[in-house]
This record gives sequence, C-alpha cells and structure tokens, in this order.
Amino acid sequence: MNVLIVEDEKSLANEIASFLKAEGFLCELAFTGFEASEKIAVNLYDFVLLDLGLPDYNGLDLIVEARNHGNDTAFIIITARGAVEDKVRGLNLGADDYLAKPFALMELFSRIQAVARRKFNILNNNLTVGDFIIELQSRKITCKGNEVIITKKEYDLLQYLIINRNKVLTRNQLYEHIWGNILDDQYDSNFIDVHIKNVRKKLNGHAPTPWLETVRGIGYRVSLG
Amino acid sequence: MIRLRMKLALFNLLSKLVFTILFLMFLPYLIERISLLQVDNELIQKREQVITLISKVGIEPFITSDSGNVFGSYNILKEEFISLERIDLKEDANYIEVSQRLIEGENITYRVLNYSFKVDGNTYLLAVGKSLNSILHTQKNIKIVMLLFLVFIILITFLTDLQYTRLLLRPLDIITNKLKGISNPSIFDKTPVRTTTSDFHHLDDALTELMRHIDQLFQNEKEITVNISHELLTPISVLRSKLENLLIRRDIGSDISTKIEESLKTLHRLQSLVNSLLLIARIESRQYLREESFSVTEVLHEIITEIIPIAEDAGIIIKEEVEKDFLITRANRSLIFSMFYNIVNNAVKNTPSHGEVLVKTTLHENNYIVTVTDTGKGMTEAQMSNLFSRFKTKVGNNIDSIGIGLAIAKSIADFHGIEILVNSVIMKSTSFSFRFPENS
Repeated sequence: MNVLIVEDEKSLANEIASFLKAEGFLCELAFTGFEASEKIAVNLYDFVLLDLGLPDYNGLDLIVEARNHGNDTAFIIITARGAVEDKVRGLNLGADDYLAKPFALMELFSRIQAVARRKFNILNNNLTVGDFIIELQSRKITCKGNEVIITKKEYDLLQYLIINRNKVLTRNQLYEHIWGNILDDQYDSNFIDVHIKNVRKKLNGHAPTPWLETVRGIGYRVSLG
Repeated sequence: MIRLRMKLALFNLLSKLVFTILFLMFLPYLIERISLLQVDNELIQKREQVITLISKVGIEPFITSDSGNVFGSYNILKEEFISLERIDLKEDANYIEVSQRLIEGENITYRVLNYSFKVDGNTYLLAVGKSLNSILHTQKNIKIVMLLFLVFIILITFLTDLQYTRLLLRPLDIITNKLKGISNPSIFDKTPVRTTTSDFHHLDDALTELMRHIDQLFQNEKEITVNISHELLTPISVLRSKLENLLIRRDIGSDISTKIEESLKTLHRLQSLVNSLLLIARIESRQYLREESFSVTEVLHEIITEIIPIAEDAGIIIKEEVEKDFLITRANRSLIFSMFYNIVNNAVKNTPSHGEVLVKTTLHENNYIVTVTDTGKGMTEAQMSNLFSRFKTKVGNNIDSIGIGLAIAKSIADFHGIEILVNSVIMKSTSFSFRFPENS
C-alpha cells in the first residue's frame, strides 16, 4: 500500500515513514500543504496521513480536493489540535479516522489496518496465533472450534498485541490503546498486568500461549515466527 | 433582604406618616387659633358698629333708668348676643374672654369681648359675644375630613412612589439581573441598558467594560494554555516516535531497551501533564459540547465493570447500590465517564486489601447524588483543603501520580454544575459525593 504523509514537522514525518516502510508500506512525504495538494492531484494513494496544523494550508481542504478528483483515498487525520470541532468537521468531510498527537506508531499502524479492512474490504479477516483464531470482523477468539470467552477490553488488548506482533509494546502504549489518553493520571497502574494475567488464564484454559511473552522491564510482545 | 425600591417606598411612607402625625397633633391647636382669631375680628367689628351707633343716637335708646341700667339682645339661635350695662369701673376694660352664659336656661360657651366706655360721665360696659358651639362642631368636622384626606393622600402617594421608583430603578434591576448567576464573563449580556439616569448609565458602562476586560484576560490565559500545550505536544510527538522506533529495533540489548522504555515513560508523564492542562483549559473555555442525554447509572456500571478485574486482583470488593436510575441531559458523556472513572479508580487505589468501595446513587430532595466511599486511610483536614488544586494532591502514596486527576474531576463537575462534597474519617474512610443539579 502506498501512503502520503503530510506533516510539516520533518523529523516526525521521517519517523512515521521509517516505521511504515518497515511494515512494507510505500511512503511519500509532503512537508507543506501545497506540496501535498500537487501530489494528491497527480498520484493515487491508498492512505493520506494528514496533519491539520499546516502553516500554508487548511488541511481539511486537502480532503475536499481529493474527493473532487474522485479518488477514494483513506484519510487519517493526525493533529495536535485535538479540538472537538476539528474532529467532527474532519470526519464529516470524509476522513476515515482521527489521531491526536502524540500517538504511538503502533496505534497508527493498528488504525491503518482497521481502516484498510473496512475500506478496502480485505476479506481475510482472521488472524491465526498458535492454536487460536482471532476473528476481526466478529471480534471473537476461537480455539479448535470453541469460542474463548473474553471481555471487550481483554480482546482489544490481545488484538492490539497481535496486530503489532513481534514488536514489544510498553504498558503505557497498551494502556493508551485501551483507555485513550483522556485522564490518564494514574497511568502507572498495574492495569495492564492484571488484564494480561486474565487473558493468559482464559486462553491457557484452551491451549498454551508461549507466544504471549512478558518482556522484562518493558512490557509485552506477541512473538510469531 | 428587601429590594431597593421597596425600601425607598417604605421610607417615603414612613416619613409621610411622621409628618402627618405631627401635623395632626398640632391641627386642633391651629384650627382653634385660626377660628378664634376670626371670631375676635368679628367681635371687634361688632363693637365698632355698636360704638358708632351709640355715638349717633346716644345711649338712651338702649339704657334708660326704667330698664334697670342693663340692655341685652341675642338672636333666636342664641349664637350672638350684645349686652350693655352701666357700671362703676375703676379701670378701663377692653379684653376678650371665653365665658359661660346662661341664656333661657341654656348654658352656652361664648367668646366675649368686654369693652368699657364713658357717656355723659357714666361708665358703660359693652359685651359682645359669639357662641363657640358651632365653631367647635366645625372643628371636629374639619379634623375628620383632614384625616380622611391625609390617609387618602398617603395611600395614593405610596402607590405612585412604588410605581415610580420601580420605573426609575428598572435599569438597576436589569443590571442586577445581568449579574445574577453569572459564572463566566463571556456570558455577560453586553447590550447597553437603556436609561436616562446617568448613574445607571455609568454603572452599566463600567460593568460591561470590566466584564469585557476579564473575559479578554480569561480568553488570553486559556489561549496561552492551549497554544503552549499544542507547541509542547509536537516535540513530544517527535521524541516519542523516535524512541518507539528505537525500541522495536532488534539490534539493541535489553539494557538499552530498558533505558528507552524509561525515557518513554518519562515522556508519557510529560504528555499526560500537557494533555491534562489542555483538557482543563478546554473544559473551562467550554470547548466541549454538552448535548448528550444518558443514564448515569449505566456509566457507573460501565466504569465498575472495567475496574473490577483490578479490584479483584487487589482483593477489594466494589459494591454498587442504585436507589433510583437517573438520566442526565445536556451533558458530555465522555467527560462524566472520566470524572467518575478517576474517582472510582482512586478509591480502589486507596483501599487496602480486603477493603471495600461503595458506589451509591440516591435521590435526595430532587437532587441525584452519587457517592463513592472507600475504606482507605482517609485524609487529614490539610489534605482535604487543597484536594482539588492542581499538582498539590498526592492521593495515597502513588508517587507516579501527577496529582491533577482530581483537578480535572472538579473542572468537569463545575462544567456540569455538579457539586462535589468530600467527607473523610482518618484511618477509616473517604467519600466523594456528587450532587447533580435539580433540573439535570
């Protein structure tokens, strides 16, 4: 998939690009709105990551332009101006998702995956991990045909880890994914540990989960070969 | 408290009453003086007439030796009389007195003018009298009429005063109403009050100007907070991405990973801080919408469901008591969720193992009250006094808490008009009560 990253903060754009390239994306960068506008007019992108705080352009106009060109590019808005009106207006204009800065790169990746599944009708909606099958569409986990009963939060946690497989995720990143960053005063809680403990207990009732690793001093990782 | 216009009207009424009473006290005396003066004048006139007559016709037509040296005449209704008498007087007499005369068996009070004069070497005493009975009667009537008239006048002026002061003070009423229940200078009605009274005009002008100024200052402060936060979030964002990209690299050792994770954690703390300040600034500048209706009980249930795994792990029981389910209107669900989430989460953190957290919803005098009680360590007076100040609170001994959670909860509560009451018994329990406004 090819992605256009529209972000005036160059080093941030570069970091996002380097992360997404490692995940197999083709990335192009635009540091100004004008540049982005030209690129959108000429090329067809699957994704545009759009920073609204561009110095020369109202970022939302780019969505309108793309739609006028008749292309169905998926827009994910990333902005530090997390004002409610911005979000509502962006989504009304046809943006597909909205991420407030600062966000975790893994969170961005998981959002892109979700939008891609929704927007481009990716049919293979199941992930296989060990003896378990994660059904992304119905948000269910089965093991050898039996459904594993798991809470909504536990499912979110597990899915996030699996989508970002082979990467270690810190407790903060996991916490942020599940509870967002509104009011995370008590972020250093053992919330994640408790939830992972419960997930393990529930999954282990069906089959062993050696792939769900604890990374000492850092967090958790799903390791798949 | 009494309204100004009522006070003015009452004062007017009172002062009028005092003057009226004084007037009524002096009235009998005044009327008497005036009427006696009138009578005396008449008597003097009569005397002059009699004297003129005598000097024309002489004394004989009145007094002869046959008539026994006395002449007397009165009219039919005995209102007036004249008497003439020859007497021996050592001194001249010319005075007016009040005396009782018995005329035809009737005792009548007269005002009598006594006057002595000499004719042909004889001294005569002339007495001209006028009955005071009719005067006294008139006096009584005048008093009654006066009293009724004054009562009528007082009543009328009281009502007109009341009406007039109301009209006069209407601009003040408008200004007072503008200030009533004002929680934010931005909602102050800045349309000038129409008045011809310069004082009110100045007052209104000064207030509007003041409000505009305060509003501007508030606005500036919030804008600064919002702008600084935005400016801070971008570098945090850059740093964070860089560290995250480093952490997922496979060619680094675990000691470096740990250091990166620690840096990320610190950065996250900074991010939380900025986000919290931004959140408060946004709530206070009313950037959040309040247009949702939802069940508070449901929100509480959702929060409890989320926290139960943690509580169970720590050996704490969360109890939920609902006296009555209630729907809140014109509210922001995610803010209300955050507020209660923070409080319940705090309660769980501050409760030791085998403790209990109780979340209770009650209806008290038309106000819904949500109370979250823990069986924790409680708080001292000093801790409670700056509980809601930013950065001053360290609930429990969670050193990683940035101490802004309760400040956020407070601003969310204020935003929704919810009153927070805190009760604490040291080494026993702490309870937070949220009293929802009546119309919510």
